[in-house]
Amino acid sequence: MQNLEALKNLLYRLADDFLIMGHRDSEWIGLGPILEEDIAFASMAQDKVGYSLSFYTLLHELGEADPDTIAFKREAIHFKCAQFVEMPIQDYAFSLIRHFFFDYAADTRIQALKNSSYDKLRDLANKISRELKYHCMHAKTMVTQIAKGNEDGNSRLQEAVNTAFPMALSLFEPTEFCEELAQAGICPTEASLQKEWLQRITPLLIEASLSLPQVPEPNPYYGGRKGYHTDYLDELIQEMTAVIRLEPEAVW
Amino acid sequence: MYGNLTIIEIDNFGKKIEEEDPIKLAEFEARIARGEKIEPQDWMPFEYRKQLIRMIEQHAHSEIIGALPEGTWITRAPGFKRKLALMAKVQDEVGHAQLLYAAAETLGKSREEMIQDLLNGKSKYSNVFNYPAVTWADTAIIAWLIDAGAIINQVTNSKGSYGPYCRALERICAEESFHLRYGYDTCVHLATGTPSQRKMLQDALNRWWTPIMHFHGPPDKISVHGEKLMKWKVKLASNDEMRQQFLDMYVPKIWELGLEIPDPNLHKNPETGKWEYTEPDWNEFMRVINGDGPCNKERLAVRRYAEEKGRWVRMALLRKEEKYVVPLA
Amino acid sequence: MKIQSLDPRINRIELPEENNNTRIPPMDQWQTYEVFHQQARGDQHKHVGIVHAPNPEMALLFAKEQYARRSQCVNLWVVRTADVYATSYDDADIFEPAFDKSYRESWGYKDTRQLIEKFKKEKEMASPATPTSSSISEENHSSEETSKKKVVGKSGIIIGKK
Repeated sequence: MQNLEALKNLLYRLADDFLIMGHRDSEWIGLGPILEEDIAFASMAQDKVGYSLSFYTLLHELGEADPDTIAFKREAIHFKCAQFVEMPIQDYAFSLIRHFFFDYAADTRIQALKNSSYDKLRDLANKISRELKYHCMHAKTMVTQIAKGNEDGNSRLQEAVNTAFPMALSLFEPTEFCEELAQAGICPTEASLQKEWLQRITPLLIEASLSLPQVPEPNPYYGGRKGYHTDYLDELIQEMTAVIRLEPEAVW
Repeated sequence: MYGNLTIIEIDNFGKKIEEEDPIKLAEFEARIARGEKIEPQDWMPFEYRKQLIRMIEQHAHSEIIGALPEGTWITRAPGFKRKLALMAKVQDEVGHAQLLYAAAETLGKSREEMIQDLLNGKSKYSNVFNYPAVTWADTAIIAWLIDAGAIINQVTNSKGSYGPYCRALERICAEESFHLRYGYDTCVHLATGTPSQRKMLQDALNRWWTPIMHFHGPPDKISVHGEKLMKWKVKLASNDEMRQQFLDMYVPKIWELGLEIPDPNLHKNPETGKWEYTEPDWNEFMRVINGDGPCNKERLAVRRYAEEKGRWVRMALLRKEEKYVVPLA
Repeated sequence: MKIQSLDPRINRIELPEENNNTRIPPMDQWQTYEVFHQQARGDQHKHVGIVHAPNPEMALLFAKEQYARRSQCVNLWVVRTADVYATSYDDADIFEPAFDKSYRESWGYKDTRQLIEKFKKEKEMASPATPTSSSISEENHSSEETSKKKVVGKSGIIIGKK
């Protein structure tokens, strides 16, 4: 198969992003701001962990280890997730804004993958995009209504946007495989995805009276795609694998 | 998840049953005797309303607090299948709380008041959730055996007289059956796994046996019996009846896995067909219910955290023109 | 308050001070919306419960996950509880008919056939030789039969229940 290495790299990025994001969001289960939102947020966290499982399964079909091994027995340096998803959940404002940035980014990419030249990716994208539509509806409604709701809500979300936006750009960190994937029709370049993402979120933020901050160059949150991660990822992985590591060969 | 609580703290304030309109009371009791449900807007004796609010509210609190012991392991579940299932299970507990608060709201107590009474310690929740989930196996035992006890309780209560509570329980029981299967599957994997997995499970069972025996509430001979509550179909089976049913269904399953139950006196009397066992420490039960359990402080502090740290979200979304009315059904 | 928890999530948050006087302001949990759920196209919407929400858009978002995360669903309605008008159970007797109203039910006409049979019998007794019975039965569309069989109506469209 042509472009195998590039394809695998893309699948790892997708799977790792969804796994770590889903894991982080699952930390809110039982602690959310109101019961109804707790339930909705928990569903979206499950969805994301579910997507990661599908992408790891695809990787397994391409010769990589099985999903549980890849996800639960790999060291942080081998993860390809963006640094954005590694960050602790912090307060709800940060988690909500991260959900907004992340799900619109994921949806933009998944929409593009519906036209991928790789049929299995296309099929998966078609399935995932249905649920992501809800994730985006949820993110948009919550963010715009809170931001327009009162001054306190607006200033908390603005602060979260200021913190999260530079981090969110790490989702589109260019990789050495970008051009190859685009030329093979597997996935558009990161630059073009980022552009499309910004075109989608900017009007929503304007409507919510929120503004995007300046981003330092070079982006200090780049590196995740190459295996450079924050310490938070290692802590997360240690925690996530705490039970499995007790007896790595056992069936749980 | 839920355990029986309501019958141990009947008090006498409020309108006494003798002060109720005898004609209305007779109609009300006849309706229940015919097997008809009571709906929120129906006339009902004060005592009926009070006991139901108390019971459903405690049930709701038990669900939301019950999300915490298992939540302890949500970030550490081993492997995709367990990770996804535990997320879904804990989410269900939050969902059950939502449904039950809604059922209690139809009786005229707002969700704000109920949450406030929980946080201020005025209103109780099932005692078992004041115990810690020390290892992964504890979550497996909770999901299997505590949920099994809860199902017995909830299936019984779903035949009660109050329409909204029955409807909520019907949906809850359907979801609990997933919990039970998930919990059993997890326990079976540990029991049939490596020696250290087995040990982990046995240790967890040892820790949880007392709370499990506490789950359906004090024995009939020391708990205050509400004959009225039975007649009104608020309570449908005695604590001991439910405990017997639990033992009947689950002790053989526990033994089948080669686990030891930490009670040498536990056996079924072939003559009476009843299980005999060492009474669990009911003083401990009372102590824990009154706030002195291993996790009472933490559980309430965490709920308080969720309420307080989430308030800005709720306030930002609140509009002046909003108006609360009691839900219909 | 520093509580050493077994839950790593709890150890990462700062738990509030112990306090037995939490005051939850009124409307803190918003108002409620009644949720109606349609399982499949063609089905009636069915009431399934309530959600607390600040407005209809969010009520729909919340209802989707609380009432349709497992069960099949193609459509949801939410209605502000305050906007629902309902009859009172005290007035439930208005639904109980005072006298027999079988005249407005299909089963209220099940004796028709007997009348025909009686008529035929009398006719036969009067003139025993007339062979009429077979031709008449072709047009026999008694109410019981239309409810079971498909019959061709005036417009030529197949009518009748399944």
